[in-house]
This record gives sequence, C-alpha cells and structure tokens, in this order.
Amino acid sequence: MEIWRLPISASQRGKLISAGYTSLSSLSSISSSDLARELKVSESEAMNILKVASHSRGSETSNASCSIVEGAQSAWDMLHDEESLMHITTSSADLDNILGGGIRCKEVTEIGGVPGIGKTQLGIQVAVNVQIPNDFGGLGGKAIYIDTEGSFMVERAFQIAEACIEDMSEYNRFLRKDFQECKIKMLPQDILENIFYFRICSYTEQIALINYLDKFLSEHKDVKVIVVDSVTFHFRQDFDDMALRTRVLSGMALKLMNLAKRFSLAVVLLNQVTTKHTEASFQLALALV
Amino acid sequence: MTPQSLLQLTSQKCTTGCPILDRLLYGGIPCDSITEIVAESGSGKTQICLQLSLHAQLPVSHGGLAASSLYLHTEFPFPFRRLHQLCLSFRSSNAHHFPVNDNPCDRIFVQSVHTADHLLEIMSKTDPFIENSKNQVPVRLIVIDSIAALFRSDFDNTPVELKRRSSLFFKISSKLKALAKRFNLAVLVTNQVVDLVGPNEGINGLRIGNLVCLHTSGRRVCPALGLAWANCVNSRLFLSRNEEVIREENEKSNGQSCDFVKKKMRKLYVVFAPHLPESSCEFEITREGLFGVER
Repeated sequence: MEIWRLPISASQRGKLISAGYTSLSSLSSISSSDLARELKVSESEAMNILKVASHSRGSETSNASCSIVEGAQSAWDMLHDEESLMHITTSSADLDNILGGGIRCKEVTEIGGVPGIGKTQLGIQVAVNVQIPNDFGGLGGKAIYIDTEGSFMVERAFQIAEACIEDMSEYNRFLRKDFQECKIKMLPQDILENIFYFRICSYTEQIALINYLDKFLSEHKDVKVIVVDSVTFHFRQDFDDMALRTRVLSGMALKLMNLAKRFSLAVVLLNQVTTKHTEASFQLALALV
Repeated sequence: MTPQSLLQLTSQKCTTGCPILDRLLYGGIPCDSITEIVAESGSGKTQICLQLSLHAQLPVSHGGLAASSLYLHTEFPFPFRRLHQLCLSFRSSNAHHFPVNDNPCDRIFVQSVHTADHLLEIMSKTDPFIENSKNQVPVRLIVIDSIAALFRSDFDNTPVELKRRSSLFFKISSKLKALAKRFNLAVLVTNQVVDLVGPNEGINGLRIGNLVCLHTSGRRVCPALGLAWANCVNSRLFLSRNEEVIREENEKSNGQSCDFVKKKMRKLYVVFAPHLPESSCEFEITREGLFGVER
C-alpha cells in the first residue's frame, strides 16, 4: 500500500511525499522524533502517522497476492480463466470457428447485417442453444431476449426449439449407444419457458430495462445470455440533443459490459446497417457506430 | 418489468381470403408486426389491401380478426367502386357471418394522407380513435397505401434532407409498432419500386432478403425508400408481373396444332420474414378478388 492510501490528512500526506517517503517500508525503520524533525511537525503527529502506517501494513500482509490495485489479476490468471469459459454454439460449425468456438461468455458480441440476412434467426438460435444441457456440451442456462422491433415470432422459436431437441436425440443415439438410454426429457415448451422475453417500444423503455437487468439477474442467476434484437432501432429517430444520444448509448454499452463481466454471461447485440457515402462509392457500416 | 410468457404469446394472423396464399404466409398477415408489399403499379397491391380490409371482418374461427380496419391512402382517388365490387362478392360468399342488411364497407374507415408530417399527425389521433372503437367493432388492421408516395417528392437530394427523411422513417415505424403492440394490430404497408440502371455492383448489387434481385415487367427493380426503410419493416412481400409467351395445345379438326399465347404471369414472393421460408406462388386477379393459383 502506498502513502496516498493512508487515512491521514492531505497536508501530512503532501509533507511525507515531498520529504521522500513514498512507500510504507520507508516508514518502518524511522523513529517518531526523526520523522517529526524531517517533516517539521509535532512529535505526537509523527507518532500518529507511524501508528497508522504500521496498522495498515499489518492488514496488508493478509492479502497474499501482491496486487498494486485492488481487483487486479495477473495475465496468466486471466488466460486461464478465458480458456475455461464455455462457448455458446451458433449451430453453424463455420461460424463457431470464426468466433473461436462460439459466442463467448463475459463478452459483448455485436452482429450486424442488412435486413433479411438472418440476425433475428441467429438471435433466437443462440437463445435456444444456451439451454443445451451440460451433458451435451452446452451451458444449460436460460436466456433473456429483448425485442425492440417486434420481429420475434413464437412459432419460429418453437420450430428452432424442436430442431434443437431433435439434434440432441440424434447425438444421443450415435454416441451413447454403450451407456444407458438417457432419453431427452426436454420439450420445446420447456425451452420456450426458459427464454425471458421483453418487448420494448421506445428508447426510454430500453434504458429502463437495461438498468433493471441488474436486479433481474441477481434474482435469476442461471441466465447465461442476453440477446438485444436491434439495439439501435429506437435511437435512429430524430433526437433534439445528439450529445444526449451519445451519452445514453455509451452508458448503455458500458452497463451491458459490466453485466457480462459480473454475471459471467454473454451479451449479443444485433445491429442494423446504413450506407456510408465516401466520395463516389458507398460502403455498408453498422448503425450509430 | 416482468418478462412476457412466450407460451401465452400467440401471434394471430389475418387471412387473405385465399387458402393458397394463406398457406404461403403460414396463416396470413401477422398481428403486432409491419408487413410491407412491394410492387410496381398495376401489380395488385391495392387489391390485396382492399381484400384484407374486408376479410379482417370475418370471425376469428374463420381466420379473420373480427375487426374493422383503418385505410390510410396517399394516392388519389380511392378505389370506391372496386371496393364496392369486392364487397358484394365477399358478402355473397360469407353471407352466413353477417346479418342481412349489413354492409361490410361500413367497417372500413378511409382517411387520405398528404404528407409525412400529416401522417404523424394522424397517428397521434389514431390512439384515441382505436380506443373508442373498442366499444363497437374494434380496429385491428391498419393499411397504408402507399407509404412511398409520401416521401418521393418532398425531399431534396442533399445529405441533410436525406438524413431527415431517414429519421422520419424510424419515427413513423416506431409509432406504428407501438400502436401495433398496444392494440395487437396488423399493419400492412405498400411500397413502390424504382428501376435499377447500370451494372450489378455497388449499391445496385446490394442483396436484401431471399431474392438476388427483383424482376418485374422484364426490368430489374428494387424497392423504393432504400435501406433505411427496409430496416423499419418486419416482413416484405414482392409482387411481380410478367408477360410470358406460352404454348397452348389446340385440338383442331385436322389434328393438333399449337398457338403461342401471351399470358400475364403474376407471382408473389417472400423477400424476407422472420417466420417464413423462401417461397413464392402464382396468383391471378379476378372480379372476385386476388387468388392464388395452384399449378
């Protein structure tokens, strides 16, 4: 712990630092009278400083890892954590390969595309695939689906859920012939029940919902993915104050990143595209980037 | 805020009046979503809109919504005579659902729209209007025929104006979707096409949906209002019409001969929809309305 962390007054801290005492170890071997002379303060003050310093050092030794800032991890620990994280498969081997195994937890993934390319389909697929049980290599978690555009169709989700269960039964048949027949007890209705569906109609509702997710996730700890279908749809209208829009959007992005890290879940944001006219040609760009 | 239970969320559909088209659309036009019909003029967009406004009045057991409809039209004049003609044939084929002196046209509310701002104004008044209609026959279908006409003349071709146009799209679409969700309405919007001139690269080559490019009357076309509006609708259907030359076998007294006859071929394609696969079907327009043809 450094001097700046000690619970002493700012003037005392300033005097210590200008006298050259920047770390606790430098205070360990000095007597109170010497310190008083160096800092030009009374001896009782110097004794107080030394007492606080030794007290802090005492509590410091209980902390085994030598972290400079609270909560820091070494890069080795981080690599280890990342490798042990599970992925959510997208049901397409090529897409999983590009993503390095699938949609990663603790991260925010943004997927953009032209209308009709399959963003909502991918969102629904991920919300279904996160529920694949651990025995089959999935996360066995639940999903939150935030629909801002109204493109979520229950009958389509039902179809996808049925196909996922059929897939699992096939896997069962081929690879578990030796073990006892563990029949898939999941029904498409169960899969649909595990998707928490929110429909929002304005940007204020969107912000309110994302703020509320904190509480919701602490009550439902088994949620492993949040899918936001068209995160930018409600923000593409005319805003009187563009600076407000930027602030709100970045605030929302930060909150989602925090949620991903704290609750160890994956966040999938689906975005639209616009055309960017640069000189004579045109380019497709993600909306509101 | 509580999540909605998906098992109780069933999307209702409004029948189009033809079982073949209904099969293509998995039941009809869905509620709580915006469906867009894109076609060049004379392809049948208004026919479908009129037909749907009538069939929305059928009871739910027969695929309708048991509802009246709000028809916002931007192109003049409104086809009253055609509506009356369709109404007569609708009544005769569905006489058992309606009392004797009933006129289904009474349950279609027509309003003309002149500009985009006028449309926004109308939509703010639509809320109380639909609320009040719950006492008689509730409004559950809104048709806008056509949305393109509102935007094609008022805006200059400068970046500032185009940006303003785009934000209007999102505003209108957002309001329509909020209305659709609140009252569980089906929203049907028609759009026009623009010709694609030049090679199939750059913005001309941008593929949206199932079809690589849309063809009608032998020309390459794309929907009007661009990529921004395409982001605002949930489903898009395309009507094409082509003149085809087909062989017809004719039996004559001195043996068989064949004639080459020009036939009008009309097809309905699903360009993109969250619940429909890529599909198409042929249809024809008769006095009684628009019906699919099984080949």
